[in-house]
Amino acid sequence: MEFLESIVNSFNSNLILNNGWLVVLKGLWVTILITAFGLLFGTITGAILCFLRLSATGLLRIVAKTVIAFLRGSPVLLLLMVFYYVVFANSRIDAVYIAVIAFSLNSGAHIAEIMRSALSAVDKKQLEAARMLGFTKYRAFMAITLPQAGRIARPVYQNATINLLQWTSVVGYVTITDLTRTVNNIGARTGDPFFALFFGILIYLGISYLVNFLFTLKIRNREAL
Amino acid sequence: MIQTVDLCKSFGNLVIFKNINITVQKGECVAVIGPSGTGKSVLFRTIAMLEKPDSGQVFINGTDITRKDININKVREKLGMVYQGFHLFSHLNVIDNITLAPIKVSIMKKQEAQKKAMELLSMVGLTEKASAFPHQLSGGQQQRVAIARSLAMDPDIILFDEPTSALDPSMTGEVLAIIRKLARSGLTMMISTHEMSFAQDVANRVLYIDEKGVYEQGTAHEIFQNPQREKTRMFIRKLKVFSYSITSRGFDMVAMNVQIELFCQKYNIDSRKINHIQLVLEELILEVSGEAEGKQQLKIDFTIEHSEEKGEILITFCYEGEFQNPFEHEEEGDNLGMVLITGVAKNFSHKYEDGRNTININI
Repeated sequence: MEFLESIVNSFNSNLILNNGWLVVLKGLWVTILITAFGLLFGTITGAILCFLRLSATGLLRIVAKTVIAFLRGSPVLLLLMVFYYVVFANSRIDAVYIAVIAFSLNSGAHIAEIMRSALSAVDKKQLEAARMLGFTKYRAFMAITLPQAGRIARPVYQNATINLLQWTSVVGYVTITDLTRTVNNIGARTGDPFFALFFGILIYLGISYLVNFLFTLKIRNREAL
Repeated sequence: MIQTVDLCKSFGNLVIFKNINITVQKGECVAVIGPSGTGKSVLFRTIAMLEKPDSGQVFINGTDITRKDININKVREKLGMVYQGFHLFSHLNVIDNITLAPIKVSIMKKQEAQKKAMELLSMVGLTEKASAFPHQLSGGQQQRVAIARSLAMDPDIILFDEPTSALDPSMTGEVLAIIRKLARSGLTMMISTHEMSFAQDVANRVLYIDEKGVYEQGTAHEIFQNPQREKTRMFIRKLKVFSYSITSRGFDMVAMNVQIELFCQKYNIDSRKINHIQLVLEELILEVSGEAEGKQQLKIDFTIEHSEEKGEILITFCYEGEFQNPFEHEEEGDNLGMVLITGVAKNFSHKYEDGRNTININI
């Protein structure tokens, strides 16, 4: 009974008093924003890097390879700090945008490799079979290779999304008040960090499950067609 | 329909074939045979412009498709290809595999395409598999779907690139039956195959590819019953050949016998036969070198041909010098060696031409 009571007390002091839940929602929104745009631009960056990486021109291949190796090899937090404290140090751009740029580049490099491995796993002779039926190179790629590569890449891409979500928790280092920073602040204010931090973990867990659910939903739709 | 003019192809320094000139008439079924690795597949791929030829031209229906301004996609709509490894679209079910190209390339209405696909499926005997996915089908079924997929575009020509090589013997029949049906319906086709009896049965013309080009060509009857050139003969009759030359009286007969034995063991010739072969050759060599003693340089060449098909051994034994037929010896009964030879041989013959004695012995 005492335990339950203490939880209710913690809940009240952390989330209800001073409208703590509103602050948490705001932080959550920032986290989702960085994740969503990071994923969107990351996928675009990944597609471009992957295209260059597989290009017939040797120079482009080498450039893409180097960029990917650099972005994958450097910790995203350091990348973020370089952008915040060096590259955009004198500009007045909102830190959230800077975070989106850093995460896009980092996840873009990972996604480029995911795409490349998925594309190379597709039977190339099927593309050729499509060409023999009169498909142009582009349309054969769109009709045969891409859907198959998408299926192969899906689970790894899903992982990359959740990884991205969790890595956004470091944006507090560059003054952004995201979910992690918010729950940390609340915990510090109320002197009850256990509840606040644990509550934060639960929210991350919830979003991860939501992401997994969205991915399965997409597949079901496609199979229904 | 198909014509190639001086077609050459090499990968780097490796010449695959050069100066290939073939013509396939409308309605003809041409079989392409030859040992593995002689470029049959590359030839097909070059005809379809999947490989760029180094030089030469390919004419399809009179148009030179090696020209840069040709829309190769349009050409390929009427030029089908069936692969050794099927290569069905693995993310689509059988009916979608067949209708994909008609709908997307020739802009056929979906219902119309499906109706046609069902007709093709009934032709290849797979109507009940319409909604199955490729991985649920056996190899033979997949290949039949691949044929239907190719037929869905109403091609003028289909190239079959070893269509049954990836299938186990129980499934080749079903695929060959379909191809035979198509050949009878007058579809122009080229088919590379290792199924000799099928090629003989279905092809109007046969090309034997070897030595980087068309080595011999003719009607199925000419190629299979009466091949003219050495390598064709060896290939058709499944001959394995061992040849050996002796140029001095002091040659190493033990080493020769070991080599003969190794050759024979490789092709599962039984040991009794091996002994007979060695016996016959030893006696012949002794006989010939004894007769020619001191007169001139010894020069003997012999070959052992093993026909896997008939299980027969043919020894061809040549030696230079004066006319000398060991089978017609003056002193009857004196020559034990010849008695031994005539004892083990099924038949034998001797002829003399241009200073060369040739003895043929069947064992």
